[in-house]
Amino acid sequence: MPEPTDIAGAKLDPALEITQLHFKYADRGFELRLPSLRLARGEEMLLVGRSGCGKSTLLQLIAGLVDPSSGSVRVGGQDMHKIAGATRDRFRGRTIGMVFQTFNLLQGFSAMENVLVAMLMSDMPKSDWKARAESLLRSLGIERLDARTEELSVGQQQRVAVARALACSPTLVLADEPTASLDPENAANAVRVLRDACREQGAALLVVSHDPSLESHFARVERLDKLVATAQANEGARA
Amino acid sequence: MSDLTIVLRSLRTRAFSSVVVVLLVAISAGLLLAILSLRNAGKDAFERGTGNAHLLVSKDGSPLVSVLNGIFYANPPKAPIDTAKLAELRASFPWAMFVPTAIGDSYRTMPVVATVPEFFSKFEPVVGEPWSFAQGRAFDKNFEIVLGSAAAREAGLGIGAKIVLTHGSGKSREGVDEHAHEHNEYQFEVVGILAPTGSPHDRALITSLESCWILHAHDRREREESHANADAGTAAKDAAHDHDHDHDHAHDEAHEPPITPADLTDADRMVTGVLLRLPSRDSAGAPPALAQQYDRLRRDGSITVALPANEVQRLFDIVSSIDVLFLAMAAATLVSSGVAILLSMVNSMSERRRQIAILRVLGASRTRIFWLVLTESTLVGLVGAVSGVMVCQVVLFLATQWLRSAHGLVIAPSLDARSAVLVAMGTTLLAALAGVVPSVLAYRTSVARNLRPLG
Repeated sequence: MPEPTDIAGAKLDPALEITQLHFKYADRGFELRLPSLRLARGEEMLLVGRSGCGKSTLLQLIAGLVDPSSGSVRVGGQDMHKIAGATRDRFRGRTIGMVFQTFNLLQGFSAMENVLVAMLMSDMPKSDWKARAESLLRSLGIERLDARTEELSVGQQQRVAVARALACSPTLVLADEPTASLDPENAANAVRVLRDACREQGAALLVVSHDPSLESHFARVERLDKLVATAQANEGARA
Repeated sequence: MSDLTIVLRSLRTRAFSSVVVVLLVAISAGLLLAILSLRNAGKDAFERGTGNAHLLVSKDGSPLVSVLNGIFYANPPKAPIDTAKLAELRASFPWAMFVPTAIGDSYRTMPVVATVPEFFSKFEPVVGEPWSFAQGRAFDKNFEIVLGSAAAREAGLGIGAKIVLTHGSGKSREGVDEHAHEHNEYQFEVVGILAPTGSPHDRALITSLESCWILHAHDRREREESHANADAGTAAKDAAHDHDHDHDHAHDEAHEPPITPADLTDADRMVTGVLLRLPSRDSAGAPPALAQQYDRLRRDGSITVALPANEVQRLFDIVSSIDVLFLAMAAATLVSSGVAILLSMVNSMSERRRQIAILRVLGASRTRIFWLVLTESTLVGLVGAVSGVMVCQVVLFLATQWLRSAHGLVIAPSLDARSAVLVAMGTTLLAALAGVVPSVLAYRTSVARNLRPLG
């Protein structure tokens, strides 16, 4: 995939660039070492791995929800962990969209409100909030914008979750086991919807999953176990 | 979409507990406001009753009893002031107002005040608010009677109605005054109905002193005749004609000519109190000579002299400890409603944590989450306080009706705007304080832990 450039022809920073990432849960003995991972703007990647290998932890590190012991995670050229407090939260809101296995929609809120909340929380400029939210939801086939999320089908809920992730035109969308609760046919549809939407919005997509059936949908597939093992092997060789 | 929308949606998600907590806060705030209002209204009603009288002279046992009997009509005064003492009092100073009253008769347990026409022209039931007639006029001859506004409403009487009065209050500690009897032989005509004053006088019926003296002269004559008959050995006739106050006056009327003012003796011309006012330029303030006249009259051991305004204050000082107790109880209820907010929000934290984690992922800072939760508890307090003002209005209305019907207390409590604002602000602040703990818990919520299952 050719490196994207800005209108002046200058190369743009990658959507995600991880360098020498090291994270350790002090109380659980779990450790994650990732020497390098890069995702260009607009690129799609599937990261697979067995349960418990650290996929979710990696996503939390990328989103700046937990801090690494060392190393850097750059999103759109900005080192996430060098930003502190509320500024990091706002940065996350604006540059990263997240889709979860259980969707994590806000109960009691309508489909429209779930998308609007994302814009509100990231302090996005208020102009055309409603128009953008409506356009996103309609493009994903949601017609009942005022329906509470509890009233929507599972498939519709997932599309609302995708619309919310794309609400702030993020650089990067992180999807954590987005098909884990779906049958193969619906899983394929869900992945298609997610990829189409990200492509349309120009967002890079990083999907983590333990489901090997998704591999056929992605041009780039990485195995977290292998990335980590490589890191351990390299460390062992150095020792 | 705003932060307030998020707060409102959060409250709607927990609609039942939100409504219950708001109700609890409303009841607590309303109760506190109602107690404050009733307390102020009660004090105001007492203060209003003393009117523009600087002094009250009677022969009651103490100044406080004198004010309770002479102005608030608590009980008929026992000891009367005789004509000589009355004349001496009148001549002792150039009073601006000298209004003798005789209290002791009643109509359907409502007090009858026998007095002079100056009661209407010089005595003001409330300082700066003279009497005004809703209907009719003041009495200008004997056996005409004027009704206070509450008395007219309670008795259902209008102008031109004829009534007979009861000697005695018509009630006692046991509920019935066994010595009371009706003066059927003398009918009184209602000639005026007073406009409401918000004072105890609204429950009174007011007639001329001479009318009252004639009634009692009638009783005196009957007693004298009974004694004479007894002396003549007409015991048999005595047995049929019980000379106590249960006798049939209509029977006597056939034999006796009615009493006229000319038949009155000094023994009949008794009063139970005198409302006094000193000359004063300022209608509300106390004139410089008041202290001197008060001391002079106090030195006369045969009478009791009271400063009505001071006695009312003394009465409130006596009951103030109970007052404080009620206020403390209401305040404790308010604090407990704050604790209810705290418990309700802390209990909901488990279901709230996932929502908080989602908001954090979407870009909300910890501080923003803190304020969202604090706003929620503050909003509960604010809505509760505003509802409390409405609860208070209902409680005041019910309490006023009950006090009027059960105890005859004419008070008009109104919600004092300053108290309402203070209680509402206090309640809201308390709710905000109660929200601090859940807000801190929300602030410290771990996003990673609460978004599981993540895969």
